[in-house]
Amino acid sequence: MQPQLKSRVRCADREVGEVTKVIMDPLSFEVSHLVVSMDDAGERQVPIGAVQTVTDDLVQLRSSSSEVMSLPPFKRDDYVTLHEIEVPGLEKHVHVAPGEVLVPFPELERNVKRRTFFANLTYVMGLFIGLPLVFPVLKFVMKPMYAPFDNRWQKIGNVGKVKADDTGTQFEFKHKVKEAYLPEAEIEKNVWLVKATPALLEKVYQGKDMEFRDATGKTLWTNKKDVPYVAFSGKCPHLGCGFKWRKHKVLGPVFLCPCHVSIYDASGKVIEGPAPRPLDLLPIQVSESGEVQIIDMEFKAGTKTQSRMV
Amino acid sequence: MSHTPSAGTQPTVIEKVYDFVDERVGLKLLTAKMLNEAVPGGSRWAYVFGSVLLFIFIMQALTGVLLMLYYVPTADHAYASTQYILHDVDYGWFLLSYHFWGSTAMVVCVFAHMSQVFLWGAYKKPRELIWLVGLGLFAIVMGFGFTGYLLPWDQRAYWATTVGVEIMDKTPIIGDFISRLLKGGATPGQMTLSRFFVIHVMVLPASLMALAGLHLFLFRCAGPGGPFRGTPDELKAKTDYFFPRQIWKDIVGMAVVFACICALAFWEPVVLLDEATPDPGDYHPEPEWYFLFLFQHLRLQMFSGEFGQFLGALFFPSVLGALLVALPFIDRKPERNIFKRPIALTLWVLFMVSLLIFTVSAIINRDFLE
Repeated sequence: MQPQLKSRVRCADREVGEVTKVIMDPLSFEVSHLVVSMDDAGERQVPIGAVQTVTDDLVQLRSSSSEVMSLPPFKRDDYVTLHEIEVPGLEKHVHVAPGEVLVPFPELERNVKRRTFFANLTYVMGLFIGLPLVFPVLKFVMKPMYAPFDNRWQKIGNVGKVKADDTGTQFEFKHKVKEAYLPEAEIEKNVWLVKATPALLEKVYQGKDMEFRDATGKTLWTNKKDVPYVAFSGKCPHLGCGFKWRKHKVLGPVFLCPCHVSIYDASGKVIEGPAPRPLDLLPIQVSESGEVQIIDMEFKAGTKTQSRMV
Repeated sequence: MSHTPSAGTQPTVIEKVYDFVDERVGLKLLTAKMLNEAVPGGSRWAYVFGSVLLFIFIMQALTGVLLMLYYVPTADHAYASTQYILHDVDYGWFLLSYHFWGSTAMVVCVFAHMSQVFLWGAYKKPRELIWLVGLGLFAIVMGFGFTGYLLPWDQRAYWATTVGVEIMDKTPIIGDFISRLLKGGATPGQMTLSRFFVIHVMVLPASLMALAGLHLFLFRCAGPGGPFRGTPDELKAKTDYFFPRQIWKDIVGMAVVFACICALAFWEPVVLLDEATPDPGDYHPEPEWYFLFLFQHLRLQMFSGEFGQFLGALFFPSVLGALLVALPFIDRKPERNIFKRPIALTLWVLFMVSLLIFTVSAIINRDFLE
């Protein structure tokens, strides 16, 4: 047991005083010294090694009273109290308090039954407040998340801009968007047009017309396999950056995305890099005067199969 | 320490106020308790990162509040208001650049702080909870970077967000919902800007303050780890308190970081690119440098295709995150000396080297794309 404050201290020959302070070691959390008041002769700091036995109210030392008296006087300024310093866990190891300190338990609290019931009731009340909020809050934040697709035809320019077969030409256009309560705004977007030779066209459509459907599955438009103009969404199917038509040192002219270096040929097929699927074809109409219209669709990037987002 | 007046002199007004407060809240004891934290093995320059991070955060909060006096988080005004801060408001360029470089300093110091805890084995029992909360703080710091990046609404902002959210979209089952929730729609727009703004200026600062408080509380419960070498007697002989030696070192650390951020803000002030638009023009999208290694490794052939991309963008980063969370529970040996923990040392070196290689190769790759 740890020595108690106010315990009498007895040396080998006689009683010398009482324990007034206890000094703890902040690393081992053990009592390292006792401070003994020597019955009117000042305080002495006695190492715990000198203690022979400890009982409830008595500390028996091995040394003689003269040996203890010859120890240097205790220097209070070399120490701080437990309350003034932060040594995690130290307080848990102190058992030198002179006894328990008590305050009376309030009268009203003495015979309260159903403590557990009341504790649980607070959780129930919490749920009662919180649960009804879940759905409204969810709907509140979800309002703009699933906008219907915009299937309007969009004029993007004239095919006269396309200078050569089987090369990519960028068409920039303004797309009108209306977000929430905001006035309609125009954002700049772009698609890539390729005037395909029959061989390339075969590679693009593989001999089949291409159907585009709306969200309900109704056919919106069919790209005929023999119309030589194909339009690619400007969004890279890898992770959604904007790709460009560039001359590659080894592969020649290609569609190249600068983000993660996905490379596609003029038919949109992946020839190098991390993209999971070919470039996304868009519904395209070319009038007799060469005016091009597209439906501006965007597809989720990073997936093998197309899934429309816009 | 003592503010009690010496005999014969009248207490000054400050002393009276101090004593008034002390009588009611125990200020002296509280101050003592805060400052007299024993640092086993003594104060060190290596311990400054935690305090420095707190300092950087406070400065980010201050500069952030000031920037909000002019900044408007709308798609049609965000860019113009940021340009206004940069070009018209007195010292606007400095405050915005300080905020920008402050975020970089934050990431650097978080890395240093985490590396140090890892190498010192300071995440081990009884400090597991400090480590876990620290990981939460790390995630918040990254979230700050990601959301703050969008706010100027220039091309860099737009594309970093587009790609970042597309990556989240690939999370199984909840990915689509989460990315739409963040974007407030199918594509980045006004709703995205509003949401990122609220996250950046309300949600994350509140979370960071709460978690940082918890981090410090847990740190005080467990106490500093101290050096991994030395007998108890040696440690005790070198032990001092948080105040004054460690606080002095911390203050010097803060001053150095402050000077570095100011210098960077001065010599490399923020320059905006063109206003955000879904047409990148000649801009080559690229994230902030501390995300470059992630960005670059997604270029690898092994991470191509839908599955490869899932592995590279989500699976491996999640595994790394999970390993960091599990670290104090996997590595339970009490040994803290890094030179006696060969696996830990090897992993750390490997991680740092690959981080360096990928970041540098992303920078080198820039030239090939021109």
